[in-house]
Amino acid sequence: MGALPDLSVDIGGLRIKNPVLAASGTFGYGDELTCFYDPSLLGAIIVKGLSLRPMPGNPPPRIVETPCGLLNAIGLANIGIEAFVEEKLPSLGTIRTPVITNIYGHTVEEYAEMAERIEKVDGIAAIEINISCPNVEEGGMAFGTDPDTAAMVTDEVARNTTKPVIVKLTPNVTDITIIARAVESAGAQAISVTNTLLGMAVDVATRRPKLANVIGGLSGPAIKPIALYLVHKVVEAVKIPVIGLGGIMDYQDALEFLIVGARAIQVGTANLINPKTAMEIITGLTDFCVRKNISNINQIIGALETNGEDHEKKGDRKN
Amino acid sequence: MVEEVVSIESNREIGKDTFLMGFRSTSLASLAKPGQFLMIHIDRAAKDPLLRRPFSIHGILDGNRLMILYKTVGKGTSLLSSLREGDPISVIGPLGNGFTLPRPSEKTLLVAGGMGIAPLFFLAQALKKVQKRTIEMFLGFPSAQEVVIIDQIKDFNVDLSLTTEDGSLGIKGLVGDLLDRHLGQELTEKPVIYACGPSAMLKKIAQKAIRCNLRCYVSLEGYMACGLGICQGCAVKRGNGKDKPYYYVCQDGPVFSAEMIDWEVM
Repeated sequence: MGALPDLSVDIGGLRIKNPVLAASGTFGYGDELTCFYDPSLLGAIIVKGLSLRPMPGNPPPRIVETPCGLLNAIGLANIGIEAFVEEKLPSLGTIRTPVITNIYGHTVEEYAEMAERIEKVDGIAAIEINISCPNVEEGGMAFGTDPDTAAMVTDEVARNTTKPVIVKLTPNVTDITIIARAVESAGAQAISVTNTLLGMAVDVATRRPKLANVIGGLSGPAIKPIALYLVHKVVEAVKIPVIGLGGIMDYQDALEFLIVGARAIQVGTANLINPKTAMEIITGLTDFCVRKNISNINQIIGALETNGEDHEKKGDRKN
Repeated sequence: MVEEVVSIESNREIGKDTFLMGFRSTSLASLAKPGQFLMIHIDRAAKDPLLRRPFSIHGILDGNRLMILYKTVGKGTSLLSSLREGDPISVIGPLGNGFTLPRPSEKTLLVAGGMGIAPLFFLAQALKKVQKRTIEMFLGFPSAQEVVIIDQIKDFNVDLSLTTEDGSLGIKGLVGDLLDRHLGQELTEKPVIYACGPSAMLKKIAQKAIRCNLRCYVSLEGYMACGLGICQGCAVKRGNGKDKPYYYVCQDGPVFSAEMIDWEVM
């Protein structure tokens, strides 16, 4: 066998050594899981969603397991952007892979202010805008369900930073492609698809919701087919790279997203179960490429065979 | 903290719906302290149940055999109970802070409700080596069928009081109420209390201990996805927190000093 396959991809001007990212909220602030493996091996790390000021999060119970899924209503508990920059970021300097911040604002102005703050900081490679959190009262998903406000937030952030801007979309809309096109026009360099699906669970004995927040966001293998479909739709609708996520547990799941056209993928819930998942996916993708004589991962990206039904996509294939 | 795939050595029903499982791990055994817990992945290939399950370390036998005591309450524990000798499980641990041990001469009182005995047995095992005096232990179970582990406890230097809710063995009633009456007497000496069990029981004990100005440690449960401080699922309201209103059971606990928790919302 010859040289190892080239797994590097480009997401909106950010070159990463492989297409496997740790999803926001499942990898802490970047330094918690170092006892399991060296996070430098990942394509990039997206740290826990940050807000302008610290947020306490929702009352418990915040988590409930449902079949093949995890329903959560954490409520964006986080230490705030300032504490992250002061206390966490310095120790992340030793990690030799891009660190991406995920930001959340209560208002459009807060998003802009955070982008401005991050712009001044070295060591943050890109910004992922969270307009898709279902578990907060103000802002969050509200920004991501309307194309005009989604565009407004994207535009405000893009105008305040030179770093690549990734917008993380919610699946909780009728037509995700409308939102995707709106944020693309507003200056997004990449799109993450998808955040959690709204859901709930009830304790039949007490008739109470199992989450104190009543509703939560569903993640895990239960949502994978939906996430894959949404990635497929968005890939067709926009020209900018799409980062796929939703229930990816192993390299085969990752391949499905790459084949439908995701330029990269994020590992989320799986990190909470097996902290080594992302690492194992990188190994799995490498071995797969070697077995299949694929020298460059881009040969797989968008390589979906659809017997001509998916006509538009065919002409765009990268192999 | 280590992640290890281990083979189950024993897994048998020792009381109604109550199982005792053992596996060997020199690294986990050498790190484990009473009060700490493990995250166990019962079937790594399965997507349902999806998450690992947290279990208190129940004790260590023969130097490197870790014991887990559990009740089958749902899909995860039922699946665990079906595993046999030689079956692999993935274990992450030891996690959490563990108990602060009493001074060797200090009057020590252990209170367990149901599966609350799981971590307190490990504590009693450790105290056997360091504690000079007889430990007082209050154990409560729903019924005689569910009473487990008391024969092993009798090997320790303990003064045991047993309750069952239906009165089928020991004193009829709740163990929390028995302790409440005990603490209501004239105490010649203030004990340090270690408690684990249902939250209603812990609430009663903790509030009593705070009123009586007794040192009291409780081991809490929480819904958690990871056990590693990442998901922030296992929030518990702080008794004294304004800027930071929540503790996380997995990283700040599972053992808390009673006054650290806001018992009004428990």
